[in-house]
Amino acid sequence: MTVDFSKLRRVVPAAIVSLAASVHLWERQRRQVHFSGVHECEILGYLQRMDFFKACGVEMQESFQRWESKGRFVPVCMVTQPIDEMGADVAGCLAPGGEDYEHPMSGLFDTIAYVLTEVGNNIRQHSGGVGYAAAQVNRQEGMIKMALADNGMGILKSFQSVEAPWSMSTTHAEAIAKALEPRISCKAGEPNEGVGLTLVGEMVSIMRGWLLVVSGNGVLISRRDGSRTLEELPEGAFYQGTLVAMSFPETAASHYADHLRKAKIKSGLLHPGSGRAILEP
Amino acid sequence: MSNTHTVSLAEDCGSFLADGATALEYRHRAIDPYLSFCEKVTLDFSGVRTANSSFMNALVSGLLENHGEVVLKKLVFKGCKPALAVLVESAIELGIRKSGGRITA
Repeated sequence: MTVDFSKLRRVVPAAIVSLAASVHLWERQRRQVHFSGVHECEILGYLQRMDFFKACGVEMQESFQRWESKGRFVPVCMVTQPIDEMGADVAGCLAPGGEDYEHPMSGLFDTIAYVLTEVGNNIRQHSGGVGYAAAQVNRQEGMIKMALADNGMGILKSFQSVEAPWSMSTTHAEAIAKALEPRISCKAGEPNEGVGLTLVGEMVSIMRGWLLVVSGNGVLISRRDGSRTLEELPEGAFYQGTLVAMSFPETAASHYADHLRKAKIKSGLLHPGSGRAILEP
Repeated sequence: MSNTHTVSLAEDCGSFLADGATALEYRHRAIDPYLSFCEKVTLDFSGVRTANSSFMNALVSGLLENHGEVVLKKLVFKGCKPALAVLVESAIELGIRKSGGRITA
């Protein structure tokens, strides 16, 4: 297996994490993986700074100084550490200062933490594989780009493994769409309620963001105008595992509590005026 | 023996609550046993910076599923920031639905 980097000019977090997860899978399958054209690659320094090669277990000499990543990007990291710590680390990196509830970045901090931990929980609970995460802030566009990918069984097989009746005669793309419906879980019962990916999808939509989910040969794209399409990867291509990638405006993420409430209501998980909890200050 | 019981989520689980398995284990250990003999059980979220649905559903909805809607008269949720309150209310709705109760709108 040869991965040629010589003509690579631009890369997004989704590509970096899905390639890292694939390389890990190929090595687990004892396939020889060779990286070629690395030194001709125009963005070699960027890939190194994003710790892509490190995540693939390749040590390379670097010809640049490593500046602080805080507020700019999150290098590739494996989804293995306690998920709450990972969420705090990534959110703290992309929304510096947001750890403080009164800070202007706190809404962005909360949004990133929520999305990352819910998708990360899915990877740990369902995939049976190894997951990677990375993120980037594009200050010019004012957009946050985040991606998580694993090399596990994928969404369709995960539904089939719990013998969901409808999953036996469906496609990868339809299984992705089903995973975005509320209360559809690959593992019934505690502690899993099957709402994680649903709410992530709704929150990204409310923020007028963009969502991509790839699993098997299925692709779901949710656009900024709210339209969604289900497609298949071209030319027989197949992604072993699941990729969840998103981008959303930095400023939109500041209204976290309001977005969360709207996402819950839109998913039918919260009914306005139904408050039953005794809340004390 | 006091008939009230208070647990501090921040002290016991941390200020960042995101793991459903942790919530489930904590509920079984620190909350469930007290509901049968305490008149009031307070879940104090003071100091909790943020949480997600996985944690809150595992913590709260199971209480209603196991003890019924009547448990809401005993439970007090203290120190919830606005987003935490959304997660609590949603987890309660989920618990009511799972316990077979009707969700009042």
